[in-house]
Amino acid sequence: MKAVVNIEDVSKIIKGRKIIDSLSFQVNEGEVFGFLGPNGAGKTTTIRMIVGLIGITSGDIKILGSSIQSDFEKAIKHVGAIVENPEMYKFMSGYQNLLHFARMSEGITKEKIAETVEFVGLTDRIHDKVKTYSLGMRQRLGLAQCLLHDPKVLILDEPTNGLDPAGIREIRDHVRKLAREKGMAVIVSSHLLSEMEMMCDRVGIIQNGKLIDIQSVNDFVQEEGRLYEIEVDAPAQAEQAMKRLYPGQSIAINNQSIVVTIEKENVPFLVKELVHDGLNIFSIQETTRTLEDRFLEVTSGKEGK
Amino acid sequence: MISLIKNEWLKIFKRSGTYVMIGILVLIVSIAGAFMKYQDTRGSVPDNEDWKKGLEMQNASYQKELEEMGDMLPVDVKESYERTIAINDYRIENNLSPNQDYSSLSFIADMSSLIDFVGLFMIIIAGGIVASEFTWGTIKLLLIRPIKREKILVSKYITMLLFGGSLLLLLFVFSGLLGVLLFGTGGQSSPYLNYQDGTVTEQSMLFHLMKVYGLSSINMIMLATMAFMISAAFRSSSLAIGLSIFLMFVGGQVTQLVAMKYEWAKFSLFANTDLFQYFEGTPMLPGMTLGFSIIMLIIYFLLFQAVAFLMFKKRDVAA
Repeated sequence: MKAVVNIEDVSKIIKGRKIIDSLSFQVNEGEVFGFLGPNGAGKTTTIRMIVGLIGITSGDIKILGSSIQSDFEKAIKHVGAIVENPEMYKFMSGYQNLLHFARMSEGITKEKIAETVEFVGLTDRIHDKVKTYSLGMRQRLGLAQCLLHDPKVLILDEPTNGLDPAGIREIRDHVRKLAREKGMAVIVSSHLLSEMEMMCDRVGIIQNGKLIDIQSVNDFVQEEGRLYEIEVDAPAQAEQAMKRLYPGQSIAINNQSIVVTIEKENVPFLVKELVHDGLNIFSIQETTRTLEDRFLEVTSGKEGK
Repeated sequence: MISLIKNEWLKIFKRSGTYVMIGILVLIVSIAGAFMKYQDTRGSVPDNEDWKKGLEMQNASYQKELEEMGDMLPVDVKESYERTIAINDYRIENNLSPNQDYSSLSFIADMSSLIDFVGLFMIIIAGGIVASEFTWGTIKLLLIRPIKREKILVSKYITMLLFGGSLLLLLFVFSGLLGVLLFGTGGQSSPYLNYQDGTVTEQSMLFHLMKVYGLSSINMIMLATMAFMISAAFRSSSLAIGLSIFLMFVGGQVTQLVAMKYEWAKFSLFANTDLFQYFEGTPMLPGMTLGFSIIMLIIYFLLFQAVAFLMFKKRDVAA
């Protein structure tokens, strides 16, 4: 896989305070990269540095090999972005807005604009003034605006902020489609974990300006084994049994259940053993470990050190 | 570059405020035209063969006041009296009645005082053209295009100049057309009487108009450039517009006050924006020449541009 965006040891100091501290990562072709972190961790600052809106104190950012600092025009040519809210000229129609931005890049035809409008599903309302648009429509127009010049890199800062579930789903589908079909590298930032889980291939976690972890979403969520919640009449006794069967495994007791991590093949064996011990089993449930659990695990862990 | 200017131009003309400005300009010229048309006598001089007597009387009263008050009179009042007296004398000597046919050119000349309005509107546009992008949040979308920031700023500056130029043209053409419609083209247009250093000279009206429009544009451009600088450097359109308009109205007076005591006032921008002082009347301070003012204006112009470009280029867009 080809790396499209290279962040190389980037730091940003504002008024003596280190906002971003030696950040390095890369985003590959056809990949959706999630940029995750609590509010104020430096997500937006990093994104603004990638698109050249704010300067870089040290380090460099390269897009398809061109530095955003020394070769701005060549680098930014491949980037389409929405930074925070998709603010447009409200006194103009959606179409006029798109024309406006189309004039600023080379070789965008009327057909291309029409095609993009069709893609985001705004054909019916495109000639209305932007001030009459709903937030969801503005978000769609914002997406159209950054797709006009067929970018290799798509950057969306909090793209689902303030959208209703239907709008969130729509954006998610678009993002996945663009990455799969057009091979774009997509960078999405968010503080919403569930959203990231559904949208991204890899997730980088940033906290206090430092990148503390990058993992693929699947690895991230299911690191080892599967999680089963077993509802029994005597959890304490079940715990004893577990400790005997799988010494060293972590076992949690949750009300009337115990939560264990084991391989799927071992479930029938475990059930037999528990029944043999005279325990009554009411239910067995496989629970997926959510990104949220992992996220809290990772961030609190690092903070403690 | 042309497409950038086109973009900026469209953004100006897609807003209703722009049409309000044009409307105000057209309205004032129309109302003034109507007044001129239906007001029979213009001025204190009788509209018949007795005009010479009228002028002599006016001269006598001004003369008396000048002698009685002497140095008590403010400098500019004294100057305007002297000017009127000299011009009146010239009219009497050369048999040039002030009641000559009022033609379209004279109307344009009278309407040229509205150039200040054009300047005002130009400042409003200049003050908003960069700062508004920050207020709207659209600056983020504007600066992530494959175009250098300097180029965007240049396109905005040029658009602002074009807008001012168009308003001037509108003022000139509209007052000309209205003048022709209301007062006719006028057979031989009356000459413009220029008073400088105690002597009166005749100038063709057209030449006078060119001069007024040309010199006023310089004043306008300097103030608009200042507004543009504040807009680009501080991202605040209200600060840019407010400060520039304030200085437009009081800058000259304050400089004049300072000039009475200190000679360094001649280095102030406002001592130099009014180039009329070298063509009519007397310079604000002794030792000031047209060349001096032009150099000062160029220095200020470059300074404003340098500040605007450096600040705009370096700025972190975090809004």
